[in-house]
Amino acid sequence: MLRTKAQSMSKTGPGNGEGPDWGELLGRVAHHGDTAAFRKVYDHFAPRIKAYAINQGMNQQAEELVQEVMTSVWRNADKYRDSLASASTWIFTITRNQRIDLLRKKGRTKAEMTVDTEELWQIPTEDTTIRSIEAGSTEKKMKESILELPEDQMIAVRKVYYEGKTHQEVAEELNVPLGTLKGRLRLSMKKLRVMLEATEL
Amino acid sequence: MSAHHPDDLTLLEYSAGSLGLAQALAVSVHLGYCLQCQSQLRKLNALGGVLLSETRPASVGANDDQIPERSDVQNESLDKGFEQLMARIGSEEPRAEAPTGTSVSKRYHNPLERYLPSSLDELDWQQQTREIAKYDLTNVVDMGSARITLQRIKAGAKVPVHTHRGNELTVVLKGGFSDELGVYHAGDYIARDPSHHHSPTALQNEDCICLTVLDAPMRFTGPLMRWLNPLLAWKA
Ligand SMILES: [Zn+2]
Ligand SMILES: [Zn+2]
Repeated sequence: MLRTKAQSMSKTGPGNGEGPDWGELLGRVAHHGDTAAFRKVYDHFAPRIKAYAINQGMNQQAEELVQEVMTSVWRNADKYRDSLASASTWIFTITRNQRIDLLRKKGRTKAEMTVDTEELWQIPTEDTTIRSIEAGSTEKKMKESILELPEDQMIAVRKVYYEGKTHQEVAEELNVPLGTLKGRLRLSMKKLRVMLEATEL
Repeated sequence: MSAHHPDDLTLLEYSAGSLGLAQALAVSVHLGYCLQCQSQLRKLNALGGVLLSETRPASVGANDDQIPERSDVQNESLDKGFEQLMARIGSEEPRAEAPTGTSVSKRYHNPLERYLPSSLDELDWQQQTREIAKYDLTNVVDMGSARITLQRIKAGAKVPVHTHRGNELTVVLKGGFSDELGVYHAGDYIARDPSHHHSPTALQNEDCICLTVLDAPMRFTGPLMRWLNPLLAWKA
């Protein structure tokens, strides 16, 4: 489950003044191959990546996913830009892509070419000048906004988004009609959109 | 800027990484044209970042999925996991730099582009009728069971009225077309379900090229269906 404010965490996400400066640590990994800095990133994120894998029902491959993602973080640390996304968002997208890759490996067809997962999930225009102020605050605001969602909507979003379940599966799990579930998801998307847009001004 | 977008729930699933590959391809082609969806997606990815950072950590380096009670045991298994990781990083050749980043800034962004043997106009199009041609990508790219094709409709020509047995996603790559529900231009993302009958007509000024993703064959319903069907069938 999402942690509530009551269950305070020793290390919160980046970009809100608490906890390590992930951008700086990743910079040290990128430019100096700094193992100690990498270890800090690992200590925080590896257990969360593993939890994500388990939530996605990939118990068997959870350790493999952790290793794949952290290897990729080590190799691509120089591509991280804190003006584009916070470190946890960046690491989330790597985790998501590597998860898709692991699943794709199982279902390979005889097709001539494989379209790169990363390319399929890439946001094309990354204009740093526009984004620089936005990235850190987007995640902070997102965190607040999620906590403001009514519980039934938050659960629906979490199950679809974080546990990778289909709408049908989630509807059955929550014992509501499919239409009701879709309604909740749409409402929550609308609310998140409104809450986030309010901060962009 | 396009006027027709994937809906919120599709973007949510795309960001979560649970959308099927072929659908993801269609969304990704649309994103190349659409700043609005790009921005929405950045926010949705931040949702993933928040969920990841707020998740209850699991124990790494061990096979159980619970955090051991004692923190020294926990640290021990983290140590072990980190050792394994560094050993692996040390033993593997660094991956060759992927040539991404350079093509990103191009205005016309299509992740399929580098898998096509030539530019859209010079493809080895298979003529279906005098006015409609297709280029089948189903067996070219690895996208699961969906039928993936490029379609080219001659300027002003009409595709026979048809329904779909499955869902049809279309992204306009060039030119435009209209149907009973609207007019579509380059970049537009159009989703049609099985209940929908339509007969797209290409706009007059230029040939229309679309990416079409179909999760089941289409079915022609007009009077010409009998003889057109075998010609246009999306045969495996
Ligand atoms: Zn859009
Ligand atoms: Zn159609």
